[in-house]
Amino acid sequence: MSRQQATGHRQQAMGNGQLSRARQEASFPCPQAAGKREEPRRRGTFARRFTIAIAAVLCACTSALQADDSPKLAFIVGKVLVMDKTDSVINNAVVLVSGGMIEKVGKQSAVQVPSGYRRIEMPACWIVPGFVDCHDHVVGSLSDLNDMVYLTNPGLSTLDTVEPHNSNINRAVAGGVTTALLIPGSGTNMSGFGTVSKTAGDSVADMVVRSPGSIKIAQAGNPERYWWGVGRMFMNFNTRQTLEKAKAYHEAWVKFEKGETKEKPAFDPIFDGFRGLFARTFPASVHTQIYQVVLTTVDMLARKLDIRTVLDHSEFDGWKVAPLIIEAMAKGHSIYTIQGPRAYHLDRTQRKIHGNAARWWQAGNPLLGINTDAPVVPQEQLPFQAAMGCYYGWIPYEGIKGLTRIPAEALMVDKEVGTIEVGKQAEFCVWTGDPLDPRSSCEVTVIHGKIVYDAKLNRRF
Amino acid sequence: MTRCPGTAGRMFRFLALLTAIVAAGSISPAVAAAEANAAPAPAASALAADARIDPVQEPPKPDAKPAESKPADAKPADKKDEKKEEEPKKDRFFAVKGGVVHTVSGGDLRNVTVLCKNGKIHAIGAGLEVPKDAEILDAAGHHIYPGLVAVRGTGFHAGSNPDDGTDVFSLNMTLGLAAGITTVLSGDAVAKMTFGSVEDMVVRKEPLVSLNYATRSPEQRRKLRQSFDKLLEHIRKTEAYEQEVKTNKSAEKPDDKWIKGENEKYLKLLKREAVAEIAADTAHDLHEACDLAGRYNLRMVVRSAYEGWTIAPELARAGVSAVVTPRTRVDADELRSRANGSSIENAAILYNHGVRLAILPPGLSVSTWGVVGEDLTHFNMEAAFAVRGGLPQDAAIRAMTLDAAKVLGVDHRVGSIDVGKDADFCIVDGDLLHYMTLTRWAVVNGRIAFDREKDTLLSHIRPGGDVNAPAPNDYWPRRLGADWTAEPGVPATPAKPETRASAP
Repeated sequence: MSRQQATGHRQQAMGNGQLSRARQEASFPCPQAAGKREEPRRRGTFARRFTIAIAAVLCACTSALQADDSPKLAFIVGKVLVMDKTDSVINNAVVLVSGGMIEKVGKQSAVQVPSGYRRIEMPACWIVPGFVDCHDHVVGSLSDLNDMVYLTNPGLSTLDTVEPHNSNINRAVAGGVTTALLIPGSGTNMSGFGTVSKTAGDSVADMVVRSPGSIKIAQAGNPERYWWGVGRMFMNFNTRQTLEKAKAYHEAWVKFEKGETKEKPAFDPIFDGFRGLFARTFPASVHTQIYQVVLTTVDMLARKLDIRTVLDHSEFDGWKVAPLIIEAMAKGHSIYTIQGPRAYHLDRTQRKIHGNAARWWQAGNPLLGINTDAPVVPQEQLPFQAAMGCYYGWIPYEGIKGLTRIPAEALMVDKEVGTIEVGKQAEFCVWTGDPLDPRSSCEVTVIHGKIVYDAKLNRRF
Repeated sequence: MTRCPGTAGRMFRFLALLTAIVAAGSISPAVAAAEANAAPAPAASALAADARIDPVQEPPKPDAKPAESKPADAKPADKKDEKKEEEPKKDRFFAVKGGVVHTVSGGDLRNVTVLCKNGKIHAIGAGLEVPKDAEILDAAGHHIYPGLVAVRGTGFHAGSNPDDGTDVFSLNMTLGLAAGITTVLSGDAVAKMTFGSVEDMVVRKEPLVSLNYATRSPEQRRKLRQSFDKLLEHIRKTEAYEQEVKTNKSAEKPDDKWIKGENEKYLKLLKREAVAEIAADTAHDLHEACDLAGRYNLRMVVRSAYEGWTIAPELARAGVSAVVTPRTRVDADELRSRANGSSIENAAILYNHGVRLAILPPGLSVSTWGVVGEDLTHFNMEAAFAVRGGLPQDAAIRAMTLDAAKVLGVDHRVGSIDVGKDADFCIVDGDLLHYMTLTRWAVVNGRIAFDREKDTLLSHIRPGGDVNAPAPNDYWPRRLGADWTAEPGVPATPAKPETRASAP
């Protein structure tokens, strides 16, 4: 879905009062770096608003001007981790950015920096794609995390809670996280639609990439506490029956749209959002952990309902399901394992500490990523989560892949972000070294081709 | 397996003390101590180490021949003990060979042997002669650091008397050792991770006197200052009395019966015999703490200090040490008319101003719920975050070793690899601050307290440095009794029926 659609949602959302802060933020032209946060206050409010209005009008009128809105940048760096399928790495590289996109990537000896580009020379630094966090609760307001109205709440969407420039995402940007899937909590079996969002932007419309970004399903291991009498039998029945109703709704519409029937189905605001799930334009984010529960998730969602499934958490001894997952993948089902926030499982019967990521990796799961479940682990520590995975037996390159390309594929935003390739959005960070090492710092963050964080101006992490 | 010294052991110690005093007649304690602290110390200076007397430390361990050097006026012992004394107590030698020795106090040494005798570092040098009966640890390819010192930790030792109640086989102690930690402030005692033993567990009791001087409790603050003033008055009166009594025998000694409990501790603080510890995080609280330290000339440690970066020069002038957690996240309050909030650069800025630092992670336990990197299980990672904020790597390591030991006043025992200090090492398979570095051995008091290859907890992770090592076996059904040690790839045998017989 496009950003225009997201804007529509935002306008709806503005009505409900929750986004009053977002609206305020949106009227402030927040400078690119927070170091200048004081700056807008010095200028007159009226003058500022007037300038914005003029700028907005100009932007709307002239598409050429809109392209110019994004700066032309030339990054001259020591290393580029491309993170593409050939696992290429370019040393002594140049990355050209214009119009918000990556224009050129290559060796310094091969790529000329054209005139008119701002040269950013950081020869000791690395460019790494912006990290994608598939399990986030901090892009939105934390007080709206869990609207536990029913045991399944299919109509809700986290789009209504997105909070630009909140302090958590301001730190996330400084930790190299650029895209996040904001999902509701796991208090109920189905707690609403998630939102794929950037971690920077002056308004909800600026930030949101896709809504719905996913449907959040909590298979077990929290919704039990909803009320007495809620156990695994009822939860699975309840989740399944909601999904089956939604699937029937989608199929009825498909039939109508194909002209197979003239009977137009009645519009249902609860189930309409699910159409993308069954058309496979967005995945299900599934709170699932422990062997038996992961088994249920794979069987019910990925295999029987053939939904694109993202296994969030996938902790404890969940890795024991890996052979089944690999088998399901071979049959064309889509299953991504985005592991976290628990990095290890203490097996008390064997006196062993198993690294969760390591065990999934060793079992041959090719689609493995890492999440923070922020604020459980602060979102700026997403790469540190991968580092911890490596301590317990994973390997660093796989770790970086599990922060970039793999989660981008899981969220179906891999055509736009996740690698440093020509034609993709310019969304990356400049690191002082190995991004998994807590001693390295993210010096510059670029989103939509603009520098949204510069540690030199105001270091946040 | 606990190696508790009995009556005979105590007698040995007593005699050893006397021996040491006799020996000290020929070598002044100051010289001995200076030699002991010299690093890298040549083998010869190691001889002085045994004769070293430390005012805070317990008497040195029994020397080779205690009976021979027994002075004439020694306290007569009963017959039973006399017999045991005559048996020569064998010295326990332990040597670490190979690897890079990071002394922390005096640079890095290659191709040296660290020889330990009875739990103390006896000599460091190349080509040292190692006694035949020494236990030798070949650490080739590894890095030897002093055991890490956590200036606060929970769950490792029991109560205020760690040597009386600690489970020396606890999982927590193993996890602490696996993190490279050998010394920790548990409760109000600085105690060691003496796995499997309570011998020589406690290094020092009550190293810090905690004061409540928070700005939010003005009444408490006033009372504290009143007590200090009263005690200062008492010190002045006592000094006057000591002068007067030289000429006037009938001079009246000031009453000191009231100096007990807290006042006794405060008196030690005012005499700079103890270190005050204040929890102060904001610039306001830190400023008040510095003010208190300056007004009463106190030795002080501030805990938390996340706004230390805003008033670093003041902290430096007051000479206070700071215990910091570089990852602390506190948003700036924009309504304050000064810089505030946390900063990743806190540790670096304090260091650049000369403030002594100790580092602690956000969590002070070794939790096993699965989210890691936040507590002492990955102590070294907190120092790595300090490096991210600009702290030099060696300063970050000192903040977990020597400087942490100084904060606790135990740097004469632990915190660096120097002759005369305790044989506590954390031997790792790489750069201490790298995220994939694993502790291979932890040595406490010259004994291997943790061996990663022998403990099943982490032995399957990169065995021998192999990143592509296969995963360990999983067993189905899970509770299979003794079969969990089976080799990878070998199928486990089914559970025996009698294993369930005892279940209710």
